[in-house]
Amino acid sequence: MQYVKKIRHLLDGLYLVSGVAAAFCLIAILFLIVVQMLARWTGEMFPGAPNYAGYAMAAASFLAFANALNHGAHIRVSIVLNAVSPFWNRIINTACFMVGTAVAWYFVYYATRFTFWSWKFHEVSQGQDATALWIPQSAMVVGAIVLAIALTDNLLHLLLRGEDRVIKSDLESASE
Amino acid sequence: MENLSIIILFLFILFTLLGAGVWVGLALMGVAWVGMELFTSRPVGDVMITTIWASSSSWTLTALPLFIWMGEILYRTRLSEDMFRGLSPWMGGLPGGLVHTNIVGCTVFAAVSGSSAATLTTVGKMSIPELRKRKYPEPIIIGTLAGAATLGLMIPPSLTLIVYGVTINESITKLFFAGILPGLVLAFMFMTYVAVYSKISKKWNPTSDPVMSFAEKLKNSRFLIPVLCLIAVVIGSMYFGFATATEAAAFGVIGALILAAAQGTLTPRTFSASLMGATRTSAMIALILAGAAFLSLSMGFTGLPRGLANLIADLNLSRFELLMVLLVFYIILGMFLDGISSVVLTMAVVEPMIRQAGIDLIWFGIFIVVVVEMAQITPPIGFNLFVLQGMTGHEMSFIARAGFAMFLIMVLMVFVLIAFPELATWLPDNIRNQPG
Repeated sequence: MQYVKKIRHLLDGLYLVSGVAAAFCLIAILFLIVVQMLARWTGEMFPGAPNYAGYAMAAASFLAFANALNHGAHIRVSIVLNAVSPFWNRIINTACFMVGTAVAWYFVYYATRFTFWSWKFHEVSQGQDATALWIPQSAMVVGAIVLAIALTDNLLHLLLRGEDRVIKSDLESASE
Repeated sequence: MENLSIIILFLFILFTLLGAGVWVGLALMGVAWVGMELFTSRPVGDVMITTIWASSSSWTLTALPLFIWMGEILYRTRLSEDMFRGLSPWMGGLPGGLVHTNIVGCTVFAAVSGSSAATLTTVGKMSIPELRKRKYPEPIIIGTLAGAATLGLMIPPSLTLIVYGVTINESITKLFFAGILPGLVLAFMFMTYVAVYSKISKKWNPTSDPVMSFAEKLKNSRFLIPVLCLIAVVIGSMYFGFATATEAAAFGVIGALILAAAQGTLTPRTFSASLMGATRTSAMIALILAGAAFLSLSMGFTGLPRGLANLIADLNLSRFELLMVLLVFYIILGMFLDGISSVVLTMAVVEPMIRQAGIDLIWFGIFIVVVVEMAQITPPIGFNLFVLQGMTGHEMSFIARAGFAMFLIMVLMVFVLIAFPELATWLPDNIRNQPG
């Protein structure tokens, strides 16, 4: 039991750290855009700022996927899930987590390969920034891995305990 | 269309996954994978990553999290209280009375937030109890709120328009300006409805507030002035070409932070709550966009978009008929899907059709937003209905019925847009050139 608790603690920590890292990427976007604007007004140049902001955007998105999942922020059509009996709800929900988990791990596999090849062939951005592309791409891989772990975690929880770990209805920061 | 049976299988899988409740972004990726496997012999996984990486790391997209963050910060200020106190003295004299605070309040908040639910809760938190206290009829309080909150989707900054712009590669600044006049016209139509309703309804008997002098009115609304300045800065900087949409969003975030700090509502807790909220919401949309980027590539291989565009051309549908077909289609789709998902899901197929028919894509963005707005208040899945249910405890059917008049007004708005396309195209054609 001790062991299980430790893993639980570790995983929750992972989702949180990943989410906080994403939040810092968001601040980085703001910072990059402000610096670029200031540079333009003062006649200076800040080459590559749009590319850097783009990388920060990708990192902010991917690193936050797992956190958003656990907070119920990702949109899904819940009309069928709500209409059926608890028994069928559990079955359909399990199927959803299985599909989601499969897609996420598939993505992780190819994203890792993609990033590995960028590193191997020293692929460099076409823009003015000339960044080695594997660096920002690694953030995508890490985020995808954390999402895949979170989905697997939820799936196992659902199979063993009968419910997922998604916090119900996050109206505080509702999206639409 | 060749391969008809495979296309039907493809669509069947799409709707099964979505209907079962697989998260929209992941469902789109899964379906796109199936489509690629069925229709091409390319290395699917590699194509998927290349497409998704290119779409997720795009510079245009950065406007999205920043505008969301701006709304999240203001959502946590005292804006809700200030809004009612500041607007009510001015609205009391109009036919329809304080119900107009709902509509004008939503219009103002829509100009700092791109989301309809945030608009709804910010305005409704104060106006529902205050209007009830003054004995305004319940259906009109709820109905106008449900309807007017959808302006959050149309009046810039609008998340739906950013997503639309990114999906079809159009200028976000142009789309924003296209939304202003139709948004104001729609707000005016809501207000006209309230005024007429107040004259003909027998149940209309609210208690009125004491009349204030002009100086008192100004004093009450002084807290709204900083917000109005913020709106002016954000929209003005885009209009006069000082800033791109993303840069205007950065202005917005900084302005919102200053505003919150000046009010004393900016604590470490609200700051991190707004930041984490914005991060999650933007991740949610980013996942859908990632899935949609891959799906639209895959859709291209299925031949479905081209086939449908040709079919529409063969049918010789007039523009008006095509728009009517799309109107009905989106209303039905909107009953089950949220706005952003239905935009990204369909654009791969609809875009060629629209181009084929020679319809302006900026104008079509506004058309689609009005239709998506309707979806917010149509059962069984209308996001505003859920939010209002949570806020007021009314039955879903009661709220939907209260909002039905607003739904009809939006349908009318679609025809106004078709009759006067300049409403959407005049402003974007007249903005100054933006910086590179």
